[in-house]
Amino acid sequence: MVVPADTIKKGNEGVGPSRPRGYSNLADFASRWSFMMPAIIILMAVLAYPIFYTIQISFANLDLASFTATEWVGWENYQAILMDRGFKNSMKVTGIYLAWAMPIQMILGFGIAYLINAEWKGRAIVRALFLIPMVVAPVVAGGIWRMMLDPLWGLVNYLLGLIGMGNPDWLGNSTLAMATIIVIDTWRWTPFVVLIATAALMALPREVFEAADIDGANWWTKLWSITLPLLAPIIAATFVVRWLGAVKMFDIALASTSGGPGDATNVVNLYIYEQAFRSLRFAESAAMAVIVLVLTMILTGIFLLGTRKLENMY
Amino acid sequence: MSGATTISRRRQNAARYVRIWAGILLAAIFLFPVFWMILSSFKLPRDIFTTPPVLFFDPTLETYISYIQRADISKRMINTVIVATGSGLLSIIAGSMAGYALARVRIKGAATFGVLILMSRGVPPIALAVPMFLVARKLGLTDLHITLILAYCTFLIPYVMWLMRGFFVGLPKELEESAMLDGCSRFGAFFKVIAPISIPGILSTLIFSIILAWEELLFALVLTNRNASTIPVAIAGIAGDTVTGANWGALTAVGTMTVIPVVIFALLVQKWLIKGLADGATKG
Repeated sequence: MVVPADTIKKGNEGVGPSRPRGYSNLADFASRWSFMMPAIIILMAVLAYPIFYTIQISFANLDLASFTATEWVGWENYQAILMDRGFKNSMKVTGIYLAWAMPIQMILGFGIAYLINAEWKGRAIVRALFLIPMVVAPVVAGGIWRMMLDPLWGLVNYLLGLIGMGNPDWLGNSTLAMATIIVIDTWRWTPFVVLIATAALMALPREVFEAADIDGANWWTKLWSITLPLLAPIIAATFVVRWLGAVKMFDIALASTSGGPGDATNVVNLYIYEQAFRSLRFAESAAMAVIVLVLTMILTGIFLLGTRKLENMY
Repeated sequence: MSGATTISRRRQNAARYVRIWAGILLAAIFLFPVFWMILSSFKLPRDIFTTPPVLFFDPTLETYISYIQRADISKRMINTVIVATGSGLLSIIAGSMAGYALARVRIKGAATFGVLILMSRGVPPIALAVPMFLVARKLGLTDLHITLILAYCTFLIPYVMWLMRGFFVGLPKELEESAMLDGCSRFGAFFKVIAPISIPGILSTLIFSIILAWEELLFALVLTNRNASTIPVAIAGIAGDTVTGANWGALTAVGTMTVIPVVIFALLVQKWLIKGLADGATKG
């Protein structure tokens, strides 16, 4: 893409005074846009096109022999999935997971960052160590925790037994299985929130706190009237980033509970995956994917607007 | 008066120690599962399946040796490296250029594309995996490295674009202005002046992209079966194996092999990574 811009420029030298401007404008236009072009071309092919294709399949019948959409069926697939109990259940399960995991991770993350916020020599090392859980592949995280939570040989139940907490069947009980994936997800993502929160706390203006100290404010007043308002935009932004990751929940559930017991932890991404690639119900799963896509986009939009508002408020 | 200040200073000192020790303790708690995985990978089955769980045992490399010898693990390792670096490099080039365009090159209409690309971070991968599988199947592109590389670009390019945009915005404008006065084209200014001084930012973003691709599971499950299959697919298979029962030795050994390179990379660029995370959150 460098070449056409250059050749046009060279062509300019020979032509009359009136035309170069038009040419160089064109060259300028091309050279500006060519910065965006690689990204746009790739994303058109692998992002925009698949989304349109999903929408198309969701309104059609799919021929499994040729993997192509055959006939237009209107809203039939959507009607079918609205009757689908498994889909409704997976939406509910995802909702429960999000409603627990996100607040827990946000509160724990900012709480821990606030708690350990002290200046000392080893601070950088501790921060680096917090980086490790979040780079452990989610599928590995699910696997390790599954091993540690095993009722027979697992370390967690052994320790619980020592303090007389019985022998909970983490992956066999619906409520505990949900708790398990929330715990694994929290283990992996809280450090991420801690790191962002630590960076934010370190960037707070020190003078404000010194002034508050002189005024004799106690730590509670300082926390509520200085720290939290100053952090509000970052808390909101972290929430959005965490939300964008959490709605994609798939690997951890697959590796630790495989959606079970029954459908207790069958989050929506896992359910659609199974419907498409195990039951080969491609058209219906496309319709489900479209519903999830629309819902996610709406909620993401709302959260982004909320973040903007918060940023403008403070 | 002076007594009161020494008491409050002593209290402050005590609070500082509590904070420091809480930090160390919490880091240890969060690291424990990784430690336990690495430890278990050097155990024989008889040391794994035992109560109480043992901390001291005769370490052995047996699990590693028996697993690395299996062709599918080493081949999958190579596939993972190819796909992760390939998609990382492709996204860093396309993403940095787009990020630069959004930060510096004023283009009418580009902001709209920028917002669209950014919005795409909310697209659930499953909504892409279904059509990608169907299209790849139709065109005979399943189980190829390039298919997976392109699939990973769907989440890597938007991510890189946003991080690098933030990075380029922070650079002084005079840099490319003087370069362009010296007769550099816009491309020349970017590749000869801007890119070289942005190496730290580009490198850490590249490493983080490689980590993200390295760990990806859904697209790999859907788009590969034998030839281009990656390590996370193998781990999902071992972890979810309900027929032969829990093969924890294999799980911990392969898990350790997956995690160690990523941890080393992450620690190498940790300063940039943490800054990038913070910027990514506050500006994204």
